[in-house]
Amino acid sequence: MADIKSLIAEFEKVALNPAKSAAELKKETGKKLIGMFPYHLPEEIVYAAGMLPVGMWGGQTEIKLSNKYLQSFCCSMIKANFEMGMNKTYQKVLDGVVMAAYCDTLKCICEDWKVAVTDMPLIAMYYPQNRKIAAAIDYMGAEFKKAQEQLEAIAGKKVTEADLEAAWEVYEAYRAESRKFVKLVAKMPKTLNATVRHLVIKAAWFMDKKVYTEKLAALNAAIEAAPAEEFNGKKVLVEGIMVEPIALLDAFVENDVCIIGDDLSHQSRMFRIEGRKEGTVYEKMAYRIADAYADPLLLDEKKEHGKELIDMVKEYGADGVVVCAMKFCDPEEYDYPIFKEELEAANIPVLYMEIEQQMESVGQYKTRIQAFAETLA
Amino acid sequence: MYFLGVDIGSSSSKAAIIDENKNILVRVARNIGTGTNGPTLVINQALEEVGITRDQINFTVATGYGRVTFTQADKQITEISCHGKGVAHLVPGAHTIIDIGGQDAKVIRLNDKGNVDNFLMNEKCAAGTGRFLEVMARILNCGLEDLSGLAKESTEEIEISNTCTVFAESEVISQLAQGTAKADVAQGANNSITSRVAGLARRIGITPVVVMTGGVAKNDAVVRCMEKQIGYDITVAPDPQTVGALGAALFALETFNKK
Ligand code: SF4
Repeated sequence: MADIKSLIAEFEKVALNPAKSAAELKKETGKKLIGMFPYHLPEEIVYAAGMLPVGMWGGQTEIKLSNKYLQSFCCSMIKANFEMGMNKTYQKVLDGVVMAAYCDTLKCICEDWKVAVTDMPLIAMYYPQNRKIAAAIDYMGAEFKKAQEQLEAIAGKKVTEADLEAAWEVYEAYRAESRKFVKLVAKMPKTLNATVRHLVIKAAWFMDKKVYTEKLAALNAAIEAAPAEEFNGKKVLVEGIMVEPIALLDAFVENDVCIIGDDLSHQSRMFRIEGRKEGTVYEKMAYRIADAYADPLLLDEKKEHGKELIDMVKEYGADGVVVCAMKFCDPEEYDYPIFKEELEAANIPVLYMEIEQQMESVGQYKTRIQAFAETLA
Repeated sequence: MYFLGVDIGSSSSKAAIIDENKNILVRVARNIGTGTNGPTLVINQALEEVGITRDQINFTVATGYGRVTFTQADKQITEISCHGKGVAHLVPGAHTIIDIGGQDAKVIRLNDKGNVDNFLMNEKCAAGTGRFLEVMARILNCGLEDLSGLAKESTEEIEISNTCTVFAESEVISQLAQGTAKADVAQGANNSITSRVAGLARRIGITPVVVMTGGVAKNDAVVRCMEKQIGYDITVAPDPQTVGALGAALFALETFNKK
């Protein structure tokens, strides 16, 4: 148990202070850091170029400058990211930024950033809507190649096929270990409560993935060796982009609600797809996008998010689903009405909460989470 | 045996005491909320009216916004569950509850057994809550309880277009300056608040019997307005302001019996 606690404490330290952790990462490794803005970006190429990808998932900052470019109906996470580009918080640690136009907001940001944040190289990427067809795989390969050339310029180093293969292996190992971790939460729902679970997963965004994976493997092994915890609370699956601030996660803990599984962009959507075994690294990377499911950012003509959520609820043995909708997130808002009906038809209780990253008070959310837990009783 | 329920809202405190047979012995409400001596006052008043002392209470459940900071309860349960419990007890067959309190509004759906199976709360602003009516009463220079009578005298429909209470306030002031009748403004305020909450109700799905609770349900004009908005008759729970406290007392009895 001491082992588990001390390993968790290491992850918590990293995840609770991203700015400091990124600065330390840079100092300790001497490597350049590249910001991932934030979804489905070619981290493997960054890694292969001898640099380290770092997550850009907003944060607790006061929005002042970014209002010049972003309307009030932009999501809070991207506002925070843009603010930290404009007020030069990111410039202290990052050597470049990669972003892709996954939603209407991000499409504009790619252009705004070029004008508003001129002192940091931007690598803008465009992914195909029809992601499953053969042409899409070729097209994504071409986008990766373009991004690689720009990344090589920042790194001052050419990336070889062997570098790419090695980086791919590092990432596949990280993803496999992360998938294992989310499953192990069921064994220790008290120790791996909503907040701890979040911080352990979040730490990956501010560590060298290889180092992170080793530590996570140690934690997973320690959990496997420990006795299972008895838990009488409720188990929910969370859906959305991400769940923050921390006070919101604490509200789950206070009400004995365990986050038994997630369908979040910040977490499982990043690592639940296992890479294919055949093909070049570019192809394998592209197929991870093609094979993704239940992800509002990636087009799904069949609209199967609801069905996939129902499967996840069964797989994790969840009592209900908590939708943490990032306010003004259009891709999430398009999916919600469809899967809400399907979940209700399947008699799965749903709690919908519209959240913002910079919420000052979470009092009302606490009441909602508690009331939801009471209805599950 | 005696069971106490205390509902500590943002602008009022309520208490109810029942016996082991669910007989309601007393229900009291005072317009002082959390962070004051409101909870102590209502509890003392309730005890006095029943003629018992605090140590004769077998179990206490606290609910409402101030439930977490109130340390004298044996258990705390959300106002959602308590309103559900209270209404199921008072109005058999109730399926939809519309509760408009001082700082929030909620719609609760009950299943056939009278248990909560879904709920929605308004987002954090004051639109669609009792606070909106308070502000309107102040501008109209009348008491909150006089708003209903005033609105009934309305002869012309006016619309208050701003959702935000602060903007609505200046909108109404300029309407009055232009000579709009006070009664029409009062009715306009009712329309404004009920249309917000009716939106919540439609989102969750309305099944009769529809019941209204919370202090605002005492305002008859608001209730009639709400009926028009949602297209269903509304039953006002008896003594609507203390339904949450009653639900808490019922939970107190239930929890005590389970122990
Ligand atoms: S996908 Fe949603 S949360 Fe993400 S940047 Fe776009 S609008 Fe914001």
